[in-house]
Amino acid sequence: MNTIIYISAGLMLIFGVYAVMEHSILRAAIGLALSSASLSVLLYVLGAHLAAVFELSVCSGLVTVIFIAGISLSHSPKMEIQKEYRDKERNRQLPLVLIGAGLLLVILALTLQLQTPQLGEVAADQDVRDVLWGNRQADIWGQIALILCGGVAVAVLFREERREKK
Amino acid sequence: MTILSICAHGFVYCPILVVLIYNLFNHEFARKHFIWFAGAGATWQILTSAAGFFVLHQSGQNGYAFGALWDPGLPGSAYFELSGPRFLLLLIVGLVAFVSVLVAHHTVDFNRSSYTNLLMILVLGMNGMLLVTDLFSLYVFMEVTGLCCFIMIAMFRSRADLEGSFKYLILSELSSIFILTAVAFLMMKTGSLRYTDLAGLGSRISAGSGRLEDVLFYAALVLLISGFAIKTGVVPFHSWLPDAYQSADTAVSILLSGAVNKVAGVYGLIVVMELFGDVAPVGKSLAAVGIVSIIIGALLAVRQPHYKRVVAYSSVSQMGYILLALSTGTTLGLVAALAHIFSHTAFKSTLFTNAAALQEQAGTLELQDLGGLENQMPVTAFTSIIAFLSTAGIPPTAGFWSKILIILALWQAGSPVLAAVALIAGILSSAYLIRLQRTVFFGQTRPELAGVKEAHGSVLTAEILLTVITLGLGLLYPYILMLLHAGGIL
Amino acid sequence: MNLVTVLLIIGLLMIFAGCWCLMRTYHLLKITIGIEVAMKAVTLFLVLAGRISGSLALSETFVITVMVAEAIVAVVGTGTAVGLFRKYGSMDVRNLKQLKG
Repeated sequence: MNTIIYISAGLMLIFGVYAVMEHSILRAAIGLALSSASLSVLLYVLGAHLAAVFELSVCSGLVTVIFIAGISLSHSPKMEIQKEYRDKERNRQLPLVLIGAGLLLVILALTLQLQTPQLGEVAADQDVRDVLWGNRQADIWGQIALILCGGVAVAVLFREERREKK
Repeated sequence: MTILSICAHGFVYCPILVVLIYNLFNHEFARKHFIWFAGAGATWQILTSAAGFFVLHQSGQNGYAFGALWDPGLPGSAYFELSGPRFLLLLIVGLVAFVSVLVAHHTVDFNRSSYTNLLMILVLGMNGMLLVTDLFSLYVFMEVTGLCCFIMIAMFRSRADLEGSFKYLILSELSSIFILTAVAFLMMKTGSLRYTDLAGLGSRISAGSGRLEDVLFYAALVLLISGFAIKTGVVPFHSWLPDAYQSADTAVSILLSGAVNKVAGVYGLIVVMELFGDVAPVGKSLAAVGIVSIIIGALLAVRQPHYKRVVAYSSVSQMGYILLALSTGTTLGLVAALAHIFSHTAFKSTLFTNAAALQEQAGTLELQDLGGLENQMPVTAFTSIIAFLSTAGIPPTAGFWSKILIILALWQAGSPVLAAVALIAGILSSAYLIRLQRTVFFGQTRPELAGVKEAHGSVLTAEILLTVITLGLGLLYPYILMLLHAGGIL
Repeated sequence: MNLVTVLLIIGLLMIFAGCWCLMRTYHLLKITIGIEVAMKAVTLFLVLAGRISGSLALSETFVITVMVAEAIVAVVGTGTAVGLFRKYGSMDVRNLKQLKG
């Protein structure tokens, strides 16, 4: 059990850093999707089964589709975008910085010896659907507003430009 | 159905209803008559927030809890609640939306239907932020508010619009990440995020207990304060604010400065102060951020080349005053902050409405191209003088009284040094305001501006309405002070 | 060093990587990806918090709502980036020089 958690958490971090570091934007989007998939394994093992499904379908699926749509809409024939910016040089220090920060956090955790909480048992009597529909009305209302917002965003932002001659 | 329950449910249902009804009509009709739909939504908001306040006050209850879909009877449920100070902010939301619609009638052309839809969702987002009783729901509605703003800035799709929107999006999402992380850390400690469960958490935690959750609690406080400070746009988190205000269409700038950064930013900090005000560093850090942004904001405002940029930096500076008032943690401090929020809404919206008038009539807002418009635009010049007086805190305007309240609150809370600094920084604000007024309205009329006429129609109405509010509140303040005295706050 | 500490450290590193991406990359879509990377870690924190405090169902509902928000943020970020691409013909952040004071 714990091994799976460690492995999927590690993969999530590695794919996430890959998404940040990767030169090609398409591969970065795929890295993000893989990171998301690792997270959904992690969520499943931690007992959040419904959230794991959502993570896989919404974050790993839908968000990647959105990014790929963005990439294909911004395709430039000369592929000059790739040459123009030099992310690679600026992101080269990131793994070093991350390893440094990680070591620092580990040393802090080892020296401070804080009392850490344990993972509790998954309570059997709670159902996500009951909690969501019974207790979280405000969130549902917020989700409705968010989705309306997203609809307007697609309609307004992705539209071709010819209608807007001032 | 009592009046109170109609008012309360209206805050959540009415914006969505307006969106639904508005989109039933055909496109040309909707585009032509958008002012009636958006105006009706805003007017409803103004009326119900006023009516709801009086009904609640009469009934003697502290608050009125209600659910969006069904009654909040279940244990641990996140419901909406109407209560005293929220009404003022709800009223501000309605008022600013109304003024913005009046201005949009002149400035927005192609995007009218998107503007109406987004305005209503934005109002819903802000109402939601003000009504929820749960930190996570606060985040959800904050995200709604933010997303509406990004789209509203970007939808005009000039280079500047898109750039301002993207900069705002980057910093705003950074603040979202901070706030969500803080929410997760707090949840590790409590297992629930309702305000009632979180209140007084600070007193139950000791710094030296050696437990991880307690360390994370302090981390959460830092993240919450910096997250909401980014949303407020105070120094050192202000870099997005002038860009967003300058690039947005003026009708949207009014929304941003008048309502969004107060509800999404300052109200968040009010909640943080209410929940964790007993942890001393919270108040102190708010005071530090406030005093820095009063001074830096005013100094930066003096040098800006664009009308809206000067006004935006003035906003940074005024937000500093509000944070300073909040930092005291007393009731008088909260009252002073709310009073300044209201007067700031009035005078800052006036200034942006004047910007819309100038943009429409003179065609530019670059300060070097403007000059001597006093005779051509007498009403705009007069309203902007009143707004400047209010900003600088000179009687008999509303700004004077709210600044006095802030200084009194600081004095009462035992920090006379801060009070003195706040007083002296008022001089700085007159510096940039005098520069703005002199370059735009006084002096020789530039030959290319000779044919400029006074603003007309709804923009002029909005200018006059806001000036009447500023002056009227200024004259009414002694009465409000009397009420405060009777209530034992002052 | 137990499980919770390790997961916390991994999450913090990932938030750091996302914020780094927000601040240091030149590509507009990449910046949006950075936001998503940081949000992944936040999702993990929320579920972890639910497991620690024993209210996992509550934190699962939070996670579902956060995901909706995340997807909409991706839409808006990508839309703005595409709009900028149409104006400038490239996705470079350094083009954004219109607004200065």
